Amino acid sequence: MSSVIEVQNLTKRYRETTALDDVSFTIEKDTIYGLLGRNGAGKTTAMSILTAQNFATSGQVRVFGATPFENPSVLSRMCFVRESQKYPDDATGRHALRMARLFFPRWDDDFATQLIEEFALPVDRRIKKLSRGQLSAVGVIIGLASRAEITFFDEPYLGLDAVARQLFYDRLLQDYADHPRTVVLSSHLIDEVAPLLERVLVIEQGQILLDEDTDALRGRAAAVVGDSAAVEGFVAGREVIYTESLGRVTSATVLGGLSEQDRQRLVAADLDVAPVSLQQLVVRLTRRAAESAPKHKELVP
Amino acid sequence: MNRTLSVVRLQLVNKQTYLWVPLLVLGGALLITMVIFALLPVEGIVGGGAQAPMWYFLVVGVQSLTLTFPFSQALSVTRREFYLGTMLTALLASTALAVIYVLGGLLEGATGGFGTGSIFFQVPGVWDEGWAGAGLVYLVLSFAFFQVGFFCATIYKRFGAMVLTTGLILLALLLLAGVWLVTRLEAWGRFWGWVAETGVLGLTLWSLPLLAVLALVSYASLRLALP
Repeated sequence: MSSVIEVQNLTKRYRETTALDDVSFTIEKDTIYGLLGRNGAGKTTAMSILTAQNFATSGQVRVFGATPFENPSVLSRMCFVRESQKYPDDATGRHALRMARLFFPRWDDDFATQLIEEFALPVDRRIKKLSRGQLSAVGVIIGLASRAEITFFDEPYLGLDAVARQLFYDRLLQDYADHPRTVVLSSHLIDEVAPLLERVLVIEQGQILLDEDTDALRGRAAAVVGDSAAVEGFVAGREVIYTESLGRVTSATVLGGLSEQDRQRLVAADLDVAPVSLQQLVVRLTRRAAESAPKHKELVP
Repeated sequence: MNRTLSVVRLQLVNKQTYLWVPLLVLGGALLITMVIFALLPVEGIVGGGAQAPMWYFLVVGVQSLTLTFPFSQALSVTRREFYLGTMLTALLASTALAVIYVLGGLLEGATGGFGTGSIFFQVPGVWDEGWAGAGLVYLVLSFAFFQVGFFCATIYKRFGAMVLTTGLILLALLLLAGVWLVTRLEAWGRFWGWVAETGVLGLTLWSLPLLAVLALVSYASLRLALP
């Protein structure tokens, strides 16, 4: 696999806050990434800098091996419609799509027409009169039909109902299968997008918390459920990121894979193993990081 | 270059902004002025309605930055492509408007003010150097209005409302200082003499260096503006 984006020591400081703090990561070609994290974690800032819509305070960004800023040969291969995208004042949805067609070399008009129908987008209505969901649909259609080699979706589902969201996920997967490309999907509905994601990047307070294959990540944790005493006995000495008790039953989420020996012990102790959802894992790892951060700072003299 | 021309097409996808509304403004101003001329019992009135589309261009200049620029960024257009394409569009629209203005003026001259005996297009001074000069004045002025709107919006976008407002106040103070200086030197006679001698066309040409500075500063701030 080759990387299409390389980010080295990227820092973005605003007057009061640090949105990205010395971040390094790479994005591989033809892969669907989940860019996960809480609101304000730095997701949109990261995507803006990668597409040269915003500027880094320090650090280096290379896309297709070159700097994206004012570089048409790099930019024309990327598409980033932001969550709060602005459109020309008098434009209709049809105008916006016609404008988009001008700049994306791999734009597919038939696909766009199909998506307009499926999302029931009133294309002749002025964009400022569209509902939040319809506005999101405009962005989703541009993102999908542009077929850009790197496509960023920034919380693309805001205001879309469950049916429309599923439609987006289905069309994304289907079109991705037919026309492989790199997709970066920023989201905080983690479990909803989890089936799409091949790799997960979690940002928390401007830092990369996780950068892992989704499957590997899932295998990193397991919930051990059963009699409280037995669970405590089993998890002793392991890294527990979360515990929950109801009566005499305890569920403890432990990090680290389970060996064959572990599984035999679990059976002997009459304990069950439940999979941890991606969302739970991310939430718990994020929380743990947040809790450990101040402690870490105190250690520094 | 290809993508710069695509920016022109982007700006013209919605014909309303650059074509229909300015034409409607000019046509509306003409119609209203003609009705007024017809109602008044006197001839030889000079109406100011021909400048109406220019004020609209000021607004288009602002909006092309605050609204179209962010969208162009989503379409992976570079700031340079956006700037050149947008300026080209404004120039095209100003040219089209100037052609209509000249045609209107010639028609007005041929029909005795469309039968009213008053003036809408052939404003005194503007037509001193013939129809070509009048067309050039109209073109440059229309483009200048757009340029000023675009400039202010760029400064606002890049540096915020405080800087823009402070800048405009400083500009006003500078003009006042100029007025004071001319008064102090008792040079108003010479000043108006120079204005009369230079003529409207001359003054228009004098504004070109100023417009070039505005254009350069706009581009420099747009280079680092955020959508």
